[in-house]
Parts: sequence; C-alpha cells; structure tokens
Amino acid sequence: MSFTLLFAVVAAAITAVLPFVATDYIISFTVQLFIFVALGYSWNLIGGYAGYPHFGQVTFFGTGAYVGALLMLNTGMHWLPAALLSGLAGIVLAVPLGGAMLRLKGPFFAIGMFGIARVLEALAMGLDGITDGGTGLYLPPMRDLRPIYFVLAGLAFAMFLGTYWLDNSRLGLKLLAIREDEVAADALGIQTTKLKVLTFITSAIVPAIVGSLYATYLSFIDPPTAFFPATELTTIAIVLLGGMGTVLGPLVGAVLLSVVNELLWSRFPEIYLGLVGVLIIFAVLYMPRGLVSLAVKQRWMPSGRASFRRHAELHKDAAAHG
Amino acid sequence: MLALELLISGILLGGLYALMACGLNLIFGVMRVINFAHGDILAVGALATVSIVAGQALPYWVALIVVPLGTALLGFLIQVVIIRRIIDQPMIMSLLATYAISTILVNAAILIWGGGFHGLPGVLAGSIPFLGVNVSIARLASFAVAMGVSLAVWWMLERTRFGRAVRSVSQAPELALISGISIDQIRNLTFALGAGMAGLAGVLLAPTFASDPQLGARFIVKAFAVIIVGGMGSYPGALLAALLLGVLEVYGGFWFGQVIATALLYLVMLAVLLVRPRGLLGVGVRV
Repeated sequence: MSFTLLFAVVAAAITAVLPFVATDYIISFTVQLFIFVALGYSWNLIGGYAGYPHFGQVTFFGTGAYVGALLMLNTGMHWLPAALLSGLAGIVLAVPLGGAMLRLKGPFFAIGMFGIARVLEALAMGLDGITDGGTGLYLPPMRDLRPIYFVLAGLAFAMFLGTYWLDNSRLGLKLLAIREDEVAADALGIQTTKLKVLTFITSAIVPAIVGSLYATYLSFIDPPTAFFPATELTTIAIVLLGGMGTVLGPLVGAVLLSVVNELLWSRFPEIYLGLVGVLIIFAVLYMPRGLVSLAVKQRWMPSGRASFRRHAELHKDAAAHG
Repeated sequence: MLALELLISGILLGGLYALMACGLNLIFGVMRVINFAHGDILAVGALATVSIVAGQALPYWVALIVVPLGTALLGFLIQVVIIRRIIDQPMIMSLLATYAISTILVNAAILIWGGGFHGLPGVLAGSIPFLGVNVSIARLASFAVAMGVSLAVWWMLERTRFGRAVRSVSQAPELALISGISIDQIRNLTFALGAGMAGLAGVLLAPTFASDPQLGARFIVKAFAVIIVGGMGSYPGALLAALLLGVLEVYGGFWFGQVIATALLYLVMLAVLLVRPRGLLGVGVRV
C-alpha cells in the first residue's frame, strides 16, 4: 500500500472518532479545516492540474451559499438536499462561464473570474427583493455540528481520493500536458477546450456545496460573507504553499493555513489579509512549486507519480531477470 | 437634453478609465505582467490626496504633483524588489505576486485610513455650462488631464526615442538587448510610469468619488473590461473602449441602477469574448 493511501486510511480513522471525543472548539476548527481542504482540492483541479489558476472561486462558494440558504428558507428544505441542489446550481453557472471565460488565456482568465465574483456580489447586494441585500439571510441555528462535520469530512476525502485517482490517470496526464504547453497538447490530439471546460465545471461543484454547508454552519449569510475575498486568498495560498498540481499539496497547505488562521485571525484580524499576502509572495519567490515538491527534493517523500514508480519497478525486475 | 447630459457624463467618466487602463496595458505590453495591484495603487493615490488636501490643508495641485511621483516610486520598488525576480517564470507567478501585493496594499490602506469612505468636498467645486448642459468643473478638469496624459503617453510611445525602446522591448526583448537597449531599465521605468498613471487617476477621481480602501477592486474590474473590449495590448483600443464603457455605465446606471450597470459592463465583455475575442481594435495578441 502506498504512502498516500496509508495516510488516507489513518486520517479517515481519526476523522471518524474525533467528534465523539473532542471539544466543540476542536470540532469547529476541524470543520473549517475540511472546508479549506475541499476548496483547495477543487481549485487545484483547474489551477494546479489544468494550469488555469483564477481568482473567482468565491463565485461558486457564494452562489452555493445563497442558493442553499434561499432553498432552506423558502421551501423549508433540509440542509443536505439544499447543499446538493447548490452543487447543481454551481454546475449550471459554471457551464456558460466556462464556455466564455476559458477563451481567455492565463492571467486574463484569472482576473476575468475575479470580476465575475465581484459582479455576483454586487447582484446579491442589489437584488434585495430576493436576498435581503446587506441585511443578510438568517437560518435556524444548528444545535449539533456533527452531521455537517461528517458531510464536510466526506467531501474533503472525496476530493482527496479523486485527486489521487486523477494524478495516476491518463486524464491527469492530459491536463498536465495542457498546463505545460497547450498548443503542443492540442497537436497531440488532446481535446484541450473540452477538457478545460469540463475541469472548470468539476472544480465548481464542491465549492458550491461547501458554500451552502457554510451558510448552514454559520446560520447566516450576507454578500460580504458569501463572497469574502479572504476565502479566495486563503484557498490560493493553501494550494500555492502546499504545491500546485500535487496530490498532497492542498492538504499540507490547508493544515498549515488553518493553524496560521487560528493563531493570527483571532489575535491580529486587522493584518490577517496582508500577512497571507506576504506568505504568497514568499512562496512565489522562494518555493513556487510548494512544500510538497520541496519535501520530494529533500528525499523526505518518494518522487514522481505512483503509477510511474510502479512501471519503473516492473522494468527494473524485468531487466534483473532478463 | 437628458440623453446629452448622460452622454457627457459618461465620456467624462470614460476619461478616468482610459488613464487607468492605458497604464495597465502599458505594463502588460512591455513586461507581459498583469498588474493586479493597479487598482489598489489608484486607491492609495486617491486616499493620499484626501490626506494631503483635507488633512494637511495643502492646495490640490500639490497632490497632483506629489502623489503620481509617490505611486511611481511605489511601482518602481514593486518592480525592483519582487517582479524583476520572477519575470522569466510563467505569467501566472507574477500575477499571483501582484495579487498578493494588492491584498497587502488594501490591508495597509485600511490600517492607515480606516475602512470607511472619504470625500473631498469643495475642491474644484461648481459647474459651468457646456453645450447647454451644466458640467461639474472637477469632472471636466479631471477628464482633460486624464485624456491629455493618456494621449501624451501614446505620443511618447509612437514618436520618441524612449517610446521606440519601450516598443522594441515589448515586441522582441532579445533583439532590443543586442541593439544596446537596457531591458531592465526600460522595464523598471515602464512599471514606474504605469503606477504613476494609476496614482494620477486616483488624484483625479478623489474630488468626485468617495474613496475607500476597497476602491481598487471595483476599478481593476472595470479597467480589465476596458482592455478586453478594446483589445489586449492596443493603446487606441483601450482609449476607445474606455469612453464607450464609461458612457454605457452612466446610461445603465441611470436606467437600471448602479448594480446592473456594473453587471452590464461584464455582459458586454463576455459578449465581446464570444463574438470577437481579440477586441474592437486588437490585433490578436497570443499570450
């Protein structure tokens, strides 16, 4: 069993036991950790693997939060189906956005998505007949956090395992080819446009679901909370610090940032954004490939993709016996 | 009469967008770096103007000279300390760096000026009749300065020795280098010039807009729409699109409200992307 999967099993065991033994503070810390993990892995798909980082993930997070909150308030729906329908709303929004915005390359796509997020925030503020504008929407508070804890844990694990599968699949290789050289990938017969749009849509589903769950968890949502720039910034910092386009990167980054968050956000909320900015500049200047790549370089972790290592082992055996 | 009033108001607004978008376009053209912090440099310029004029009780023209020089120095430092070291990496790295700089600037501005709005009542107050419509002096003056500087920079790019060096670095850096042009120096100066233009736009909008630390996010989004609609890397395209979008925003804001007006700009941008991805006057820059 590989290092990564062994790690996943141990983490799953801890996750399952934790809510029955830990304090409320630990549970609520872990809920936020799962939110960051799920957001980080989603952004990693389009930003890390396909090579199209963008500043608009809160578009889907905020839309999910509003769709979920409105469904719960107006139809009295339970939070779980509301969250799933929010995921569907994420897809419905991502299809036209992906089709239009992905005509932009690199940085233009990144800033264009930032603009989309700001427009939706303005709409949430302006359409006050539906969203109550700046007053926000109030939901009945959750007495027991455990059900939502398990759903978020499930999402975080699903994204982790999905990324593990992707990293060892032909699809993952195709996405990396698009990231490294889109023209060459196209020439090799990879359907670059189709794959980019599909990856974008996939990366929108979980943030929308998580947004809805976050609204449930807070039992309140207003435009600045739903489209909070710090959510975006933290997600990007997580993936960049951990390692873009790696299986473990977003997890490592999320744990690191959650601890930083806990230490700084509570004590120095007024300089939190700036400090995360400094962290990002540090990462860009000194370790643009992230902590995970650094660990591989130092040989603390095995290098290369697991599937390649298996192939290499097979060939070594064949050479030794031949 | 109302239609004419809105048209004039829109064109006056478009002048500010032009100055801002041209600075952004200039930096992108020469360095292939999108300066995400461009809007925040503008916000810092606007807030510094408020401090100088309302806080220190100095005349407005002092801000008009000091603030653009200050933001140009800020841009120069950003370029020398951070951007220069990652210019050869993929574009997305410099974008992430300027994104981080943007959040640091916003955070610094909140610490210095607080989170609220600041205005400059009484500067260039009053209005004059123009084509039978009363136009605010502050807006007319800021339009004149903004368009004047934008056109002067365009002229400089097309006609002067420095402009030729800038264009050659943007079109073929290696050839520029073997022709004896210092690429580093041109890039440093270009970044400083672009940041100075953003700072000037900040000074010019301070008397007519309420400024706050989040002003940058709203303006970078509009400047970006201007560049896409006008055509990436096209200087006249950005000028034309800035005026068009300014008019569109004022008409949209009047008929449908400010929220829809901003969304309208983005709808136009999306439509341009779908129908004519290279923009109105763009030549189809491959990025």
